[in-house]
Amino acid sequence: MADTDEHQIWVQQSRNGDHAAFAALIREYQPMIHSLTFRMTGSSADCQDLAQETFIRAYRQIDSYNGTSKFSSWLYRIAVNACLDWQRSESRRARLHTEWSEASAAGQNSAGAGNDLDDLSREVQSALMKLPEKQRAAIVLTVYGEHNHAETAKILGCSETTVSWRIFSARRKLKKLLSKKGDSHE
Amino acid sequence: MNNSELDAKLKAAREPALPADYAEAFPQTVLNQLRSSPWKPVRARRFWLPRLVWGAATTACLLIAFALGHWRGQVERDSGQDVLANVKLIQETLAMFPNRVRAIVEDGHGLKLVLADQPDVPASMPIYIRICDGKHCSSLVTFSGQEIQIAGQKLTVLSDANGGIILEGNQFVWSSREPVHAGRSLKIEAKNL
Repeated sequence: MADTDEHQIWVQQSRNGDHAAFAALIREYQPMIHSLTFRMTGSSADCQDLAQETFIRAYRQIDSYNGTSKFSSWLYRIAVNACLDWQRSESRRARLHTEWSEASAAGQNSAGAGNDLDDLSREVQSALMKLPEKQRAAIVLTVYGEHNHAETAKILGCSETTVSWRIFSARRKLKKLLSKKGDSHE
Repeated sequence: MNNSELDAKLKAAREPALPADYAEAFPQTVLNQLRSSPWKPVRARRFWLPRLVWGAATTACLLIAFALGHWRGQVERDSGQDVLANVKLIQETLAMFPNRVRAIVEDGHGLKLVLADQPDVPASMPIYIRICDGKHCSSLVTFSGQEIQIAGQKLTVLSDANGGIILEGNQFVWSSREPVHAGRSLKIEAKNL
């Protein structure tokens, strides 16, 4: 998402404690952040919690945004970190994998993870959830966020080479996972 | 499946639509959370101050460690020589701690660097002093106006406009122009470096 002058003004006003300006930023960026947090968690409920967490962290850290990068990239970075923190909770991750496995086996969805989704959407999300979290973040940012490798590297705080390697590995796994399942649906 | 086909498949996957009322209420939900929390926006500069202090402290430690290591290395290399007579070494040390070196002392326990708390030591010509009390000898490099402790004596070091050096102790005054007036059994040597 391209930053406009208006966005920069809202950022400045938010720095001064203007909640209305920050609400305008939330309205502008919430679809982008919800999309990311859903792709990272596969759960509607957790996606909403993490989106909220992202904007709260953003407000508290807004003085650290120095304007050298796009506000959207800065916000993405906070969201990715929030998701990675969430993923690090071993018990939640184990529970989530179990839920997704059960849902995939039953051809249903669970944990409020998009009950209105079609089969393809569920398959794709199930495959994404089987990736290691950093590979998933790299794929989500490049495919759904449409960031290039350099931008993704900045958001993830790693080198472009690392991003390229993670994307290569993730694609290889996704092709295997989705080729098998894709055949059964066609 | 090639990359383009994979990307097309990934992008074809929909996300669950957010309920309209949830999306509309979301900004207010976040703001309510912020209001209910006692947290205030943290100014970036507050993070910089402790980092600056730690950075300065680390730099100071590194410099001191470097200086000590440098001195030890020099002492080993210059065995048999008077290290404090090495003008180049003195200048390097003074350059490392501008206006903070009160004295560099060499006694029976090795070299000591005496630093002022603030960089308020006036820049002037270093003065070399060597004092022997019959049993032990101590040497130091210091500056005019400094009060130093050496060989059990508290001395004020002064230099006059003509390059003469005066040492004023509790019980004696010594002048490089009239060294015969040195107090007690002390043997004193002093010169400008």
